[in-house]
Amino acid sequence: MGSAHSVPAEMRELADRTGFTSEQIEHLHRRFKQLSRDQLTIRKENFDSIPDLEFNPIRGKIVHAFFDKRNLRPESDGLADEINFEDFLTIMSYFRPIEMNMDEEQLDRFRKEKLKFLFHMYDSDHDGKITLQEYRNVVEELLSGNPHLEKESARSIADGAMMEAASICVGQMGPDQVYEGITFEDFLKMWQGIDIETKMHVRFLNMETIAHCY
Amino acid sequence: MEEVGWALARLGAAWLGLVLAFIVVPSALGLSLGISEAYMRVLVKTLEWATIRIEKGVKKPQPQMLKTPAANGIIERDETPMEKEIARLHRVDFEFSDIFYFCRKGFEAIVEDEVTQRFSSEELVSWNLLTRTNVNFHYISLRLTIVWGIGVIVRYCFLLPLRFTLAAIGITSMIVGTTMVGQLPNSSVKNYLSEVVHLTCSRILVRALSGTIRYHNKENKPQKGGICVANHTSPIDAIILTNDGCYAMVGQVHGGLMGVIQRATVKACPHVWFERSEIKDRHLVTKRLREHVADKSKLPILIFPEGTCINNTSVMMFKKGSFEIGGTIYPVAIKYDPQFGDAFWNSSKYNIVSYLLRIMTSWAIVCNVWYMPPMVRKEGEDAVQFANRVRSAIARQGGLTELPWDGGLKRAKVKDTFKEEQQKNYSKMLVRNGSIGSLSTGTESD
Repeated sequence: MGSAHSVPAEMRELADRTGFTSEQIEHLHRRFKQLSRDQLTIRKENFDSIPDLEFNPIRGKIVHAFFDKRNLRPESDGLADEINFEDFLTIMSYFRPIEMNMDEEQLDRFRKEKLKFLFHMYDSDHDGKITLQEYRNVVEELLSGNPHLEKESARSIADGAMMEAASICVGQMGPDQVYEGITFEDFLKMWQGIDIETKMHVRFLNMETIAHCY
Repeated sequence: MEEVGWALARLGAAWLGLVLAFIVVPSALGLSLGISEAYMRVLVKTLEWATIRIEKGVKKPQPQMLKTPAANGIIERDETPMEKEIARLHRVDFEFSDIFYFCRKGFEAIVEDEVTQRFSSEELVSWNLLTRTNVNFHYISLRLTIVWGIGVIVRYCFLLPLRFTLAAIGITSMIVGTTMVGQLPNSSVKNYLSEVVHLTCSRILVRALSGTIRYHNKENKPQKGGICVANHTSPIDAIILTNDGCYAMVGQVHGGLMGVIQRATVKACPHVWFERSEIKDRHLVTKRLREHVADKSKLPILIFPEGTCINNTSVMMFKKGSFEIGGTIYPVAIKYDPQFGDAFWNSSKYNIVSYLLRIMTSWAIVCNVWYMPPMVRKEGEDAVQFANRVRSAIARQGGLTELPWDGGLKRAKVKDTFKEEQQKNYSKMLVRNGSIGSLSTGTESD
């Protein structure tokens, strides 16, 4: 075992960009290899092998979020067929917890990024607005398992929530006004004052490897 | 040339003679010459030294952060139940925020899930000088590398041929011995002889793996007419248990060498081997097992209810078929020590031959076997609850975690019914809040 281990430059660059430590990246890389069965890219089918994920009613949307190009690179659009490890890390970084040493501006940007991720999850036709129909889809997905709940009830829940959203964003609407959909700015307005950072993160433990060589 | 041939032949004969004298004969008599104990002591000392060297090699002072043993995973999961979490987020009846909970759970599952973990080898806390376990560990010092090199030579050039010879002797004598005993008419002499043959051959095979097995609570050993139930990690489990007592095995009929062994042993001892087609017929299986159990003079049956090999960090769902037969269940917990050699067989990654090769080139197989007090099905308890009770007992004794998942998930997908469970729970919550009743017009709420 004479090989020395040096941190490659690209790993450092990844670490800076996504905010993970190099140990976490190594662990995620192993997980990536496991999911992709040692290929270089992951496709949607690879997520089928996770039993815990099957429990989740919005499983489809979560997997879709990984392949949504809007989440991978700013100003791009559409769906990717497969993603590589760098893309995987980029999506994972949306769930990074806040660090102690962040300043106001960083925190604000952080929050915006997380909310944007969530916005994209709702906005399934990529038109930049969450319409009533899209919102109804989400509610139906969350509730579809219950035989006691009819489609009508799911729709009324969605309608009620949209009205609340409209009242926050637009204020009182006239009888002729049609509320087209929630744009990203309106979305941000809705979340003002609510602390989402602690709810939208996955706490990575610090994995120390037993030995290092420097 | 002739002299070389002669010399080799004499060397081979001398080798065999030594092996027979020092290993085969003592194991036939159930004695121990203390060679393996000495080997284990040397091995333990070497590994301790290696660990200290590796720890000394760490130069960076570690900042105070959350540390955890590798086996527990890399994320800290928030275990608050769905109700509390969503109640906290609620200001109105249904909010955009409900999606957070599920989103986060989904991401946690993607980063790490409990089930897939169980089908890969356990991670070690410290390197054990085998190349195959070197995942995290980097170059430390020249001395360590030299020791590792010596280890490779010892394992491949000395231990491997020795173990191979022993295994060959063991398997041949098992086949020959049981065939011979099988010729005798059914009598107590035959049973006694068959036990002797089985025990001897198991002992030889255990030595072929350099196995160090510690049996605890021998007073709870399975009795005749009972069913012995254990957690499954590898095909070696059966040999480990047969080393200490005789069992009637249950399993599928295989082809090849395994099939030969099966056919030979079934003549001497009433093992229950099923044809592939019969396994599908559960009633037939249960019937045959019931007949076997009802006969109190027959050896206890050995069953592995998980149905597949798990990596020895947890116990997965027990299939209820074994628990419907009736009779007394004798649970046994088997826990391997991965530091000396990983016994887990990942059948999707390695075939049986490369698995055996890996086992034979490990340092040793060290395991603890706990015999536990017998359990019977209580009044009003159905097979599934009984199976879970036995499983908890085994998990607790062996220090393993319990997972409610089916080992069959190694190959198959999760059933849709599980997803619907979660959706049902969530919608029940909404209904309970009364939101449905207030919003909809005239529809019945739950």
